Amino acid sequence: MNSNEIISSGLLELYATGLASAEEAMQVQQWVGQYTEVADELAQIETCMEAYSQSQSIQPDASVKEKIFAKINQLESAKIIPLNSGEESSNVIGISSFWKKMAAAVVLLLIGSVAVNVSLYNNNKNVVSQLVNIQQALAGLQEKNNDMAADMKVVQSKYSLPVSLAGLEAAPDAAAKIFWMKNTTGEVYIDASNLPDAPVDKQYQLWAFVDGKPVDAGLIISTEKGSKYRIQKMKTFGRAEAFAVSLEDKKEKPSVVPEGPVYVMGKM
Amino acid sequence: MRDTIKYSEEELVGLLVQKDQQAFSYLYDNYAGALNAVILKMVEHNELAEDILQESFVKIWNNFENYDKTKGRLFTWMLNITRNLTIDTLRSKSFKKQQKISGDENSVSSLEDAKGGLDKFDAMGLRKQVGNLKEDQRSIINLAYFVGYTQDEISKQLGIPLGTVKTRMRTAILELRKKIQYT
Repeated sequence: MNSNEIISSGLLELYATGLASAEEAMQVQQWVGQYTEVADELAQIETCMEAYSQSQSIQPDASVKEKIFAKINQLESAKIIPLNSGEESSNVIGISSFWKKMAAAVVLLLIGSVAVNVSLYNNNKNVVSQLVNIQQALAGLQEKNNDMAADMKVVQSKYSLPVSLAGLEAAPDAAAKIFWMKNTTGEVYIDASNLPDAPVDKQYQLWAFVDGKPVDAGLIISTEKGSKYRIQKMKTFGRAEAFAVSLEDKKEKPSVVPEGPVYVMGKM
Repeated sequence: MRDTIKYSEEELVGLLVQKDQQAFSYLYDNYAGALNAVILKMVEHNELAEDILQESFVKIWNNFENYDKTKGRLFTWMLNITRNLTIDTLRSKSFKKQQKISGDENSVSSLEDAKGGLDKFDAMGLRKQVGNLKEDQRSIINLAYFVGYTQDEISKQLGIPLGTVKTRMRTAILELRKKIQYT
């Protein structure tokens, strides 16, 4: 068939109005590609049918267009979601800015609280160590006070007989005091605080003269700091005429008779 | 509302392939009325017709890459989609059930309905010229182009031999072309 025969066959009209069979439609499409005249003729038929359709137009309700666009936008967004869902979990939960701010505030409060706690802890540590120092100082003072009270008890006792020991040739400036519970227990105490410090290899020894003979009344602690200033309890005597302190060599067994120089002495 | 922008068919097709919504809006404004009329020729039920029109345009949008301009004009392709969707709806069970309930007055398969549809058309520039077409010429065009009848169905509907459908269609369209050209 040449192009004129094709045009006059009526197949183009069948094709344009949708009446052509699949076979005929393929044939027409082939001709359209082959002959410009046929393509032009078909275009004119189609334009005519289109114009005819337009002449018959009935405008649909305006809502139809809105529904169509809503649908295609929904479809477009539905296409986008699966692409993202591969990367992100589908269970992403939005957190409102209020809770984000709350969370930030809580974190700040926590940090602040930790800082305050650290500061308080350090302060507390200082306070505790100060307290320990004070308690130790207090304990020391109480101990001293107790010692002092005990010493004072001896000194202030109405039963204690004070005996002053004065310095002799060996130590004219030295002095000592005896507190003797002569009429009660016979206990003898000495305040050796006015004796000079004994040399490292020497020690003071108290003697009681009983019936004209010196009797050992005990060693006086004078090397340990502080103890020299305490009133020290010596041996007990029921009777004695005099008391004296001599400086003896340090040895395993104290002397039974005074061997060194006598520093101080006092008679009843 | 018509867009002030005018697209050539080639431009329109190019934009629609790229899913341009403005072009789609233009397409709708220019063709929805014509396609709606085609649906109403078969359905004559406004709500259902609008549902089909909506479905048709969504399908046109989604399947636009399938449009092949070498096979025909854009409107012809759109018309085929719309007509096929309408026919599918008419053939669907749910529609048949609905038709049974609502009665025979809504039946769309008679020529009377096709003619009745035509009588509703109004106020368009070509209306008067087309109206001058002979009754049988107008019917054969409408039954084929709008209602989607096959040659066999047209033959039976119009009471003409199957072999003459082709030549009658050609004659009717040639006549229509003359009327349109004179407008």
